[in-house]
This record gives sequence, C-alpha cells and structure tokens, in this order.
Amino acid sequence: MQIKEPVQRWQLLFEGDWATSVVFLGGSRRIAAGNKLGEIFVWELPENPPGQSKAEKKDSEPPDFAPVRRLDGHTNGISQLRASSDGKTLISAGLDHTIRIWDVDASASGTEIVVVDQKNRERKARSKSSEEKEKILNAPGTQVETVAATHILKGHNGWIFSLGISADGKRLISGDDSSLSIVWDLTTKKEISRWRGHNHTWVRSAALSPDGKTAFTGEYGGKRDNFDIPAAQASLWNCEDGSLKLDLLKLWTPKVKDEARTDSYSYLTVWVKLLGRGLVCASFSPDGKILAVGQGGEGGGKIHLVDVESGKILRTLVGHRLGACDVTFSSDNQYVLSSGRDTTVRIWQVADGKEVAVLTKPLGAKYKDWMHSVAVSPNQEMVAAADIAGLVHVWQLKS
Amino acid sequence: MKTLCTPLEHVNRRLLLKGALTTAAGGALMNWGGLFNSDAMAKEVKKQGKHCILIWLQGGCSQFETFDMKVGRPTGGPFREISTNVAGARVCELMPGIAQKMDKLTVIRSMRTSQVDHGGGTYSMHTGWTRTPAVRFPEIGAIVAKYCGDVESNLPSFIKIGSGGGGAGLLGPQYDSFALDRDGGLPRNSASRFPAEQELRRHRLRNFVENQFAQDRSAEPIRVHQEAYDRARRLNNVRDRFELDAEWAKSRNNYGNSKIGRRMMTAARLVEAGVAFVEVRHTDYDFHGDNFEGHKALVPPMEHAWAALLEDLEARGLLDDTLVVWMGEIGRTPKINNRCGRDHYVRSWSTALAGGGVKGGLVYGESDKDGVDVKENKVTEGDLFATIYTALGVDPKTENFAGVRPIPLAQFGHRVVKDILI
Repeated sequence: MQIKEPVQRWQLLFEGDWATSVVFLGGSRRIAAGNKLGEIFVWELPENPPGQSKAEKKDSEPPDFAPVRRLDGHTNGISQLRASSDGKTLISAGLDHTIRIWDVDASASGTEIVVVDQKNRERKARSKSSEEKEKILNAPGTQVETVAATHILKGHNGWIFSLGISADGKRLISGDDSSLSIVWDLTTKKEISRWRGHNHTWVRSAALSPDGKTAFTGEYGGKRDNFDIPAAQASLWNCEDGSLKLDLLKLWTPKVKDEARTDSYSYLTVWVKLLGRGLVCASFSPDGKILAVGQGGEGGGKIHLVDVESGKILRTLVGHRLGACDVTFSSDNQYVLSSGRDTTVRIWQVADGKEVAVLTKPLGAKYKDWMHSVAVSPNQEMVAAADIAGLVHVWQLKS
Repeated sequence: MKTLCTPLEHVNRRLLLKGALTTAAGGALMNWGGLFNSDAMAKEVKKQGKHCILIWLQGGCSQFETFDMKVGRPTGGPFREISTNVAGARVCELMPGIAQKMDKLTVIRSMRTSQVDHGGGTYSMHTGWTRTPAVRFPEIGAIVAKYCGDVESNLPSFIKIGSGGGGAGLLGPQYDSFALDRDGGLPRNSASRFPAEQELRRHRLRNFVENQFAQDRSAEPIRVHQEAYDRARRLNNVRDRFELDAEWAKSRNNYGNSKIGRRMMTAARLVEAGVAFVEVRHTDYDFHGDNFEGHKALVPPMEHAWAALLEDLEARGLLDDTLVVWMGEIGRTPKINNRCGRDHYVRSWSTALAGGGVKGGLVYGESDKDGVDVKENKVTEGDLFATIYTALGVDPKTENFAGVRPIPLAQFGHRVVKDILI
C-alpha cells in the first residue's frame, strides 16, 4: 500500500440514519454501506469525480454520487458487512437476529425512488425563500434497483454484533448478545461449530483467520450488576469443534488469580487497561500471523497487535482519543487502519507501530461523528469510512 | 466500578443521633412528627397494614427503552416492542418478564416534572416537592414510615438498600431511612460490640443520665436521642431477618442471578417481616453515551427481578397491601445525541405502579408521536405523590409542621389521579 498525500475523493450521502458499516466490493469503485435502519445501498463510483474548479475544490465538500442498488430485507439495524474477495457476495449481520447473504449482481426485484440526502436538502433550504425551499425539499430522489437476499442464516436469537469472514470466503463467524458464536460454512450455509462464552456477555467482536481455522472473539458484559460475571473476555478458538485454543486475557493478566477473574468489580481495574469497554473490533492480518483488536467505549481506543501463535501483545497503538470502532489490515500486511469515536481514521505501520497518516481531523473539525467503520479496497488504492452522521467518505491514498 | 460509599450509607443510628443532638444544642426545633394533627390519622392508616417498595432507577431510565417506545420514529432507537398479557399494551423487548405482569401494572406515560438535573430530580421524585431552603420536605419513605410504620417493631420502618434521597426532613430523624449495604446486608458497624446483658445495662444507664438531663430542658430531642439508641439496640434482636443467604439460595432462580435480584428479594422479605417502606436502588442509568447498550445491559436483570418481586409478593398474599413504585428522577431525551446517548428530559416520561391500591393492566396518559411532549393526562411529581399517598390510604393533604408553618404531604395544587386508583 502506498500512501502519499491522501485526498478525499467522494463524500456519499446516506443520511437516513447512522451508517454502521462499509465494504469495497471487488474493485475500488464499488462500495456497499449499511445503516441503523437496516438499509444497505450499493454505489458504483465513476473512475474520476466530476471536475471542479480550484476555487470550488477549496470551498466545497467532496462530491456526492447516488447509489444504484438497495439491498432489502433487514428489519433492524445493520451491525456488520463483509464481502467475498471477488466482491460478488455480500454478507450482512443485523440487530434483527439474521445474517443475510446477497448476490450483488443478482437481477433486481424492482426499482424505487429513494432520498438519501434529506439533511443536506434541509441545510441548503434553510436560508432560501419558501418557494425555493419547497423546490429543494421536494426535488426528485434517486432511482435505485431493489435486490433481495439469496439466503438468510438463522441461528441467533439476539442482536448480532460481530461478523468475520475467511480469506477464501468459504467460512463465516458471527457473534451475538447472548455470548453465542457460530462458525458457518458459506458453501452449504450450514453451521460448522458453535460455542458460548460467559453468560451475560456479548460477543462484541469476532474475526476468522485467513484459513478459516482459528477464530477470535472479544466478549464484553455491560451487566455490571450481576454476580460472578467476568466483565470481558478475549479468546482464540478452534473453528472445527468450537474448543478454546487460547484464553488471551488469562495470558495477558498472569498475576490475576482465577477467583478474582469472576468478580467484575475487582477485576475491572486490571482488565480495563487492556480491554477498555470491551474489544469491539478485530481483524487478522492477511498472512494470519497478527491479530489486531481495538478497545471500544468512551475511553482511550488503544489498538493491540497480537501474535496469533503465542497470544502475546506485540505492540499497542495509541492515538485514538476515544474508543476504536473498526480495524482492518492492508492486503500487503504492512499497515493497520483503524477508525474511532474521535472521528479519525488512522493508518499505522505494523512493523513499528508508527502512525503514518490520519485521514480525518479529530473532533471539532467538519467531521462531527464517530467513524464507525473502515475498509480498504482490494487494490489498496482507496479507503472508505462510514460515520454516524450518515456519510460515507472515500479517500484515494496516493494523490 | 466500585464507588466510594457516602456518609448516608453508614448506619443511620449516627444520623439520628446527630439530628437529635443538633436540636439539643439549641437549634430551631421543628415539630417533628407533626404531633398536633396527624397522629390520629397515622394510627388509622397503620391499621390497614400498607407497605410500599420503591424501585429507584438512579440516573434516569429511558422511557423509550421501557414503556413508551417510538418504533420507526427518528427518536425510536433499535429496540422493538413486544406484546404483553394486556391486549393492546406493548413494552420494550428488553422486558419480557414485566410484559407478562402487565396486568398488575399501571404505567404512566405522561410524566411532566420540573427538575432536569440529578440532584433536583432525586429530591423532587423522593419528596414530591421542589427543593427550597426554607423547608426540608420529607421523602416518601419517611412519610410512609410515619403513617404506615409500626413504631413498636424492632425493625426499622424505612429501609433503603443503597443510599440517597431527600431525608426525613421536617418529620424528624426518627423517620429517616436505615441504609443496608448494596447487597441488602446489615452495615458492618450496626452490630453491638457488647454482650446483650451488658448492652442493656449501658442502655439503662444512658437513659437514666439523659432523663436527669431532660428534667430542666426541652424533652423532644432527648426523646429522639433515646429512641435512636433504643431502636439501634432493638435492631440487634432481629438481625436474623437480614440473614437471607438461605432464602436467596431458594429464590435465586426466580429473581435472577443478579445483585438487583437479591435486593428485590430482600425487599420482599422485609415487607413480609413488617417493614413499611423499602427502597431498592438500581444505579447507573445516566446514559449520555451508549444509551442502547447501557439499557440492554441494565434493564433485563432489573425487569426480571421486578417481575419476580411482583410474583413473590402475590404468592405470599402481600401484593394487595404493597404498592410497588418504579421510577427514577428523570426521563431521557427523544433526540439521540452524537455519543449514541440520550440526555436528561422531564417534559414527557414514564413511571409505573403496581399492587396495593392501584389498578392493573392500565396505561395512563400518552406522549406525542416522537415522545417530545405529553399529549394527554399530564402527571406532575405533585400529582404522582398525591396519588401514591392516596393508594396507601394516607390523605395527601395531611399537614405536618415546619416550625409553625403547616406543610401538606403532597405539593400545593396537586391532583390525585383517580383513574389509576382502585
């Protein structure tokens, strides 16, 4: 991946509600994003943004572009999106307890007119006369093709917080709010294994190793008022049989006695330094050797790089002023990208942990809300991030 | 995270003594107890054997994530509604237990209160009054202790599991709360260091000295002082009432394996033992950030225990005489902020009542489509407290005195919400 004077190319309006997840579909110009209303849109971006004069470029926001497809089916918020490496299959997990598999190129089931820039229209109309206001607010929307899911995976009975896919796109892991994790065979659409963590914790993050044999889950329990509930966990699992491979937290906190682990209050002071408000995002490096996990919540969002073989923390990346939201690797294993509540997308060198770029500005600048999700295009030229204000930002890493 | 204890968490004996001694030292003597006009009524009410349990949600539980959902609206959030055992009444999916107890509940979806901050809200939702420097209004627990409590009982009439609230105010320290620890056990410093016989001798000597002292002085503070010691001493006769480990082992599955479950069970057992008022606290609802995850974490164990409490009280034949009040100090904003949180809101929010004196299966009042304002049947804190007192058989107009100034139990201009009452 080459980074030289990154520049934002697009700012896609998706203002129905909080945009929660974004992925590239195959190349660098096809993007899908989901939001808290359960909507998923697909954009086919042109090779170059429309031309702008220098003055326009200086003053205005990056150009918007309308989506072309809407993937219909989820009845509650989208929590995660994952895509196969060829970009033909999209997998979504939702708060409606389902995982849906989509053939992105499937024939459309219909068309519909949608408005995805409502807030922008309201902003533009604010200082206009009532006639102009009417015109702006009632301008025609965008026509999109509607597409239905090809398969629905049902195995969870709660919010599905986390989703991970193997490099070959044949296996999937999902985790929910009842501490249940399921590994799926995407060819047969059947379960391979399932396991439960601790009662009352949620599987806030899950990732599959590139070969699909090892899974990471990060659990967090918000139920601080419960007896005997470990408030957080971080573990590596065997996907074939769902057996525990490595209790990472135990490894990271050798001085904490087992009995103390079961007391949320006394354990808190120990694990909060490592896990923050739970590890809410995780990703294996493409070579499967390193796992990146990010602390969530409103504290500092440290990113830990973990040696998968030994379970040891290799280094900790400190930069996010608030919790991390998402983490991913570049396909050349050289960089880790993370997004966070401090409204930033940060790029770090894996080798030495050095922060090499910050694609956005921290709170107070034009970005007002968390960067909830980050994705790198397969050709490593573009980065996309979805924020909770309902925008999808797309950068070109080398201008 | 473990928080530091507050002075109020320490044994109330100390508080009682402090109040009594302050007065003895020459402070303005309030008419503690309002002896002139309300004792007769208190005697009458006590005969009815009413109790009250307050489930207090410190921080402000969200009405949108419990009883007043706005699914599909911009203010709605991600939770979905579920049906209840009352046709047409729906609650948040986080409350499957309470959904099956809806026939026991009156839900008020039209609360409009005055205090938007925690301190003011906690005071006004414990006393029914806005805080003022001129009058120390008594909190509901003290009022119930006075009018429904048994002064002869070895058990305190007003027990809090946790701390906070408004205090007994003008009723005097004898009606102040006795605070148990967070798990419902007796505070460690409540036990006498002396054998019973020695303690009794000390008690008699203290009374003798105080009676001598009182001969030429105002008797009221001395009486309160003696009462405080006497009640603390008598408490040691009923320490077994607070040893509930065996009971918890039997009830754990029903109440849920949670601390709030244990507190609720403790409340039920204390009411069964004759305590007039028990406040059970569940804290940390102040979700300015991560509101949905926060409620997803806190509401299920609370509502599970609450449903079990209602079932337990009913099974023991106590529900008809025990009013269970569910409320916090504030509601939460319709708008979801950019921390995924909801802030403080008092224009329109929800509380719930169950058991003695109130109807079941009733939803009273309504908010507008986005939950921004009350659409009909507004209920203020004064109205709510007047209704609660009426349900408990206490006339909300009953007066106590702050010096020579008569103060009714419920705020001036209150309205008893008769539609709620049986």
